[in-house]
Amino acid sequence: MTEDCEVTVTVNGRRHHSRVEPRRLLVDYLRHDLGLTGTHIGCEQGVCGACTVLLDGRTARSCLHFAVAVDGSEIRTVEDLAEVDQLHPIQEMFHQKHALQCGFCTPGFLLTTLELLESTPDPDEATIRETLMNNVCRCTGYANIVDAVAEAAVELRRGHQS
Amino acid sequence: MKPAPFSFVAPESLDEVIQTLAAHGDDARILAGGQSLVPLMNLRLARPEVLVSINRCDELDYTRLSGDRLVVGALVRQIDAETSPLVGAECPLLATALRYVGLPATRNRGTVCGSLAHCDPLAELPAVALALDAELVLTSSAGERRVPAHDFFVAEMTTCIEPGEIVSAVAFKRQDPSERSALREVSNGGNVFPVGGVALRWASADGTCTMARIAAFGVGSVAQRLIDAEEALVGTDLSPEAIAASVAAARNAVNPTGDMHADAEYRRHLVGVLVERCLAEGASE
Amino acid sequence: MSGDTQGAVGQSVLRREDDYLLRGQGRFVDDLPTPLNTLHLAFVLSPYAHARITSIDASEALALDGVVDVFTGADLAAMVKPIAAQIELPGYSPNTRDVLAIDEVRFAGEAVAVVVAESQYLAEDGMELVQVDYEPLPAVVDIHEATGPDATQVNPTVPGNVYFEGRFATENVAAGFEAAAHVISEDFHSNRVTAVPIEPRGCLAVPEQPANLVFYSSTQIHHLLRTALAEFCDIAESTLRVVVPDVGGGFGIKAALYPEEFVCAALALRLRRPVKWIQDRYGALLTDVHARDNHYRVEAAVDDDGIVKALRAEIRTNGGAYSAVPFGCTLETTGGARMIVGPYRITEYEYTATAVATHTAPVLAYRGVAQPVCFMAIEGIMDRIARRLELDPAEVRLKNMVPTAELPWNNVVGVRYDTGSFVESLELAMEMAGYDEFRARQANGRLVDGKYRGIGICSFTEVSGTGAPGWRARGLSRLPGFDSGTVKVEPTGKVTAFVSHAHSGQGHFTTFAQVVADELGAPLSDVTVVEGDTAAGPYGTNTFASRSAVTGGGALIRASEKARLKLARIAAYMLESTPEDIVVSDGQMHVAGVPSRALSFAEVAETAYAMNTVDLPEGESFGIEETDFYDPPLVTMANATHIAQVAVDAADGTVDIEGYVVVHDCGRVINPMIVDGQVMGGVAQGIGEALMEEFVYDSDGQVRTATLMDYLLPSSVDVPNFQIAHIESPSIDTIGGFKGVGEGGLIGAVPSIVNAVADALADLDVNVNTKPLRPTLLSRLIREAGG
Repeated sequence: MTEDCEVTVTVNGRRHHSRVEPRRLLVDYLRHDLGLTGTHIGCEQGVCGACTVLLDGRTARSCLHFAVAVDGSEIRTVEDLAEVDQLHPIQEMFHQKHALQCGFCTPGFLLTTLELLESTPDPDEATIRETLMNNVCRCTGYANIVDAVAEAAVELRRGHQS
Repeated sequence: MKPAPFSFVAPESLDEVIQTLAAHGDDARILAGGQSLVPLMNLRLARPEVLVSINRCDELDYTRLSGDRLVVGALVRQIDAETSPLVGAECPLLATALRYVGLPATRNRGTVCGSLAHCDPLAELPAVALALDAELVLTSSAGERRVPAHDFFVAEMTTCIEPGEIVSAVAFKRQDPSERSALREVSNGGNVFPVGGVALRWASADGTCTMARIAAFGVGSVAQRLIDAEEALVGTDLSPEAIAASVAAARNAVNPTGDMHADAEYRRHLVGVLVERCLAEGASE
Repeated sequence: MSGDTQGAVGQSVLRREDDYLLRGQGRFVDDLPTPLNTLHLAFVLSPYAHARITSIDASEALALDGVVDVFTGADLAAMVKPIAAQIELPGYSPNTRDVLAIDEVRFAGEAVAVVVAESQYLAEDGMELVQVDYEPLPAVVDIHEATGPDATQVNPTVPGNVYFEGRFATENVAAGFEAAAHVISEDFHSNRVTAVPIEPRGCLAVPEQPANLVFYSSTQIHHLLRTALAEFCDIAESTLRVVVPDVGGGFGIKAALYPEEFVCAALALRLRRPVKWIQDRYGALLTDVHARDNHYRVEAAVDDDGIVKALRAEIRTNGGAYSAVPFGCTLETTGGARMIVGPYRITEYEYTATAVATHTAPVLAYRGVAQPVCFMAIEGIMDRIARRLELDPAEVRLKNMVPTAELPWNNVVGVRYDTGSFVESLELAMEMAGYDEFRARQANGRLVDGKYRGIGICSFTEVSGTGAPGWRARGLSRLPGFDSGTVKVEPTGKVTAFVSHAHSGQGHFTTFAQVVADELGAPLSDVTVVEGDTAAGPYGTNTFASRSAVTGGGALIRASEKARLKLARIAAYMLESTPEDIVVSDGQMHVAGVPSRALSFAEVAETAYAMNTVDLPEGESFGIEETDFYDPPLVTMANATHIAQVAVDAADGTVDIEGYVVVHDCGRVINPMIVDGQVMGGVAQGIGEALMEEFVYDSDGQVRTATLMDYLLPSSVDVPNFQIAHIESPSIDTIGGFKGVGEGGLIGAVPSIVNAVADALADLDVNVNTKPLRPTLLSRLIREAGG
């Protein structure tokens, strides 16, 4: 009964067709079957958010999804943000504001920020902090991440105007 | 922490879902958003043999009015209910409460019905279902039954869902536009469950409270409606004395247990604090 | 001589680590490409805190397709010797730990068997099928009960469950107490916590020809790990290479040597296949080292002015079931006893410090080690002196502090404070926090709008950069103290700097490059830092206890100077000048006063590598590759003051942090941005420890906090914005003047928040002497006081 299932997903714009065991977590599929190791595993309990990806445009815990259950979905991971020679404005602001230390949780924060700024281009600090509860960082104390998100919002608004 | 093996099916209609459930009985579990189930599967505390995904059942993804009820289908994600103008207009308490449920990423995937079926004692939505006189729609190959929320939630992680049944929808009582409602909770910090909370709605006419619903979570093994505390409000002018009587009744009505997150007395005390805050918040709207 | 252009040190240079980490190109141990034939491990963990293993039946697991083998404690004993911390303290009861328990388990989570399988999923399937029969035995988890008359024995070689009892007293302590106008005493309780880096631990052992083992580990201590693997697995050290990839936070808990690492290495050699182990969060919470399960009884003899004339401390620390490797179960014990006197002029001091064995996870290093607790105690005493004598808490501290003019100062246990700014840091922090204005507002009542407002101070010394003498003083003579640096000018003139450290988020690739650029006279962008690899650069003590700036910085300064001198000698030869007249700056060398007589690093390097027609000067060796070592003094003492402002909700007992000020002095600052990051991250962990984090065993030693649903971590709404300032009192005892900074944020946060909450509730006459200060506790104190 636990036969492998067919799954077709679009990851970072590229279609993948695979046979996977039903229990294979999406995060393991992304990391070990597709080699996209930027998405990390921190708890497999849905708390830490290190495994955050965009699933059909919204943040999702890839440790709480089975690859087979997202058949037909579109997924974006951290590897999709930067151009070869240029960081995404959110990444650039994380760099400028020293919003990462060990960098393990960072991919999740970037995707949470991307989702926030797409829906709320001008968030206040309280909104930023509430949204960032999506992810846990043990290194930075959050203040620089909050700054980076606020500055990235400014940068992205400027980009849209020009 | 990897789940035990299981087989996976993803039917495309409710009919197929209930046929699959009928075939597998107790061995099958429904996968909607999975935000409560998959953590347990990763820990191997839940190990269904068959996982029945309803994510292809578009017919379960609806929010609509039916008489005096707002009906939310089994595939409605929490985020979609939270941002739905219909929910905001007809059940503002549900919309408010959803902002407290889980985290953005889990609300994006988790469903309203899934949280109710999971019946975590610390979850907000069971209390909201009680406060909104909800009925759960349970569907199986034998047909459909509607169960009032107070009969649906039995104990910690236990509902009256029988093998072969799915919560195909939940029907909340539509709130009258004149109603006030609020949800307040307290947490120990972090981004996980609160230690306790209260959902409350009331109506008044000519300065007199005509209806009150108060439900608490985190103060017992299952969400609980606080009828004595409601009665202490109805017929009063919501004066400080009336509120104090309701607060006292709320504290009397609960029988919390202590655990490492909060002792029993604190939880009892907290229920009163939050009833008072909900009333103040609703009144200030 | 080095040129006088503005140096890289002291600048907030943006991190060169960021680009690849932000792109998701970090290589953490689980991200490393693994050979296709890699085997995966899953450990069978004991559910009991104390039990006899009566049988282990692996037959069902072995029958599972994909399970390669199952090993028990007895099997592993043939491959790995029992591991042990080597503590040389009088009266210390040594003990050893089998890497998998044999016969008896001593804490919940101790591994009893390991399953080897073709995938992680299959390994966990096998793990479930290993049948272990246990005979449960009585367990003891409490540090006081453990030494009671009826307590069950944790470890046969630790009589009475006392690992160690240390005593110290100056001559006139008793007299000080007899003469004292006031004796202020208090018990302080600290709960058990653990670091919870977001990346769990892991390792990958890859056998390579000929007969070498490459061992990747998320460790902070790669050289010490290599030596220990060699010693306990009986491998020639020369055939082992330990590599540290990116590490997702360490905070001290990855500066322990864990059984899994030895098992992984031994099985790779035994099975002749790559073996990988990635810890899950459940295992992390149960088996990572823990910290802070301490009790302090402190008494201060005080005169009418609030001056402390003598101090007594009775310290009891929970060492857990085994003395963890390498620092041992006495780390918190001796640490707290030696550091509690802090910035104060305490000359009469007596302590008893006891390390106790219990059926709990071993305790070792977590950011701050004993200091968050010993400063919670002494700073709590300072506040109690103020309350008793009706003085301001800041005033009491200022009266007792060693003033800067009296530095260097040798404290009562013989630790030298070479430079510092105890008074200045407190005064500046008070100004930044608006301390006097806060007190003036508070005089009108602490309860405003339903919240009790309080302010709390922690002024502290911060041990960093410990050298060999410092470790020996704590019984750790097997712990070296020095670190090494190698600076290599490549044939193209670019610079590679090797240092014996391993990063876990500190920004070493950036900060060490800043140090080398300045000392060598190279452009910052030309310097590349390599670390975390035992095959790259010589031995060192590695990265823990706020050492890297002091020891790595010192070693690199020395090595850079040697390399610069060699460059200058060759350049002088080529320019027909003398080395003393060669000015090195920004990758160029010229004769002093004659900028046109110049050579680039590349031109000099060509000569050094015999890649041009110029011979080397006589007696000069080929290449430019210079190594040196640096062992800092006993300890390098940084200092800081934190001031927290809190609001305690009178109704629900929750705490809001409404203001947070840090004035930190880590001597010469290499990169202010990174230093601030260290401070803020540490404070966030301190907020967690003070307000919410708690690792809970029930009375049988069962774990109640086995997930992150139950072990709470501070989130973005729990941590405030910060005001941070620096005072720079460069160390006169270390090369470069650097002092450490890694732990101060956490050390200062716990006491300042506990004191602020106590201050908020001061009118209620309640005693705040424990943590975490959760709503349930504070609400109870407020209700009981009728508040």
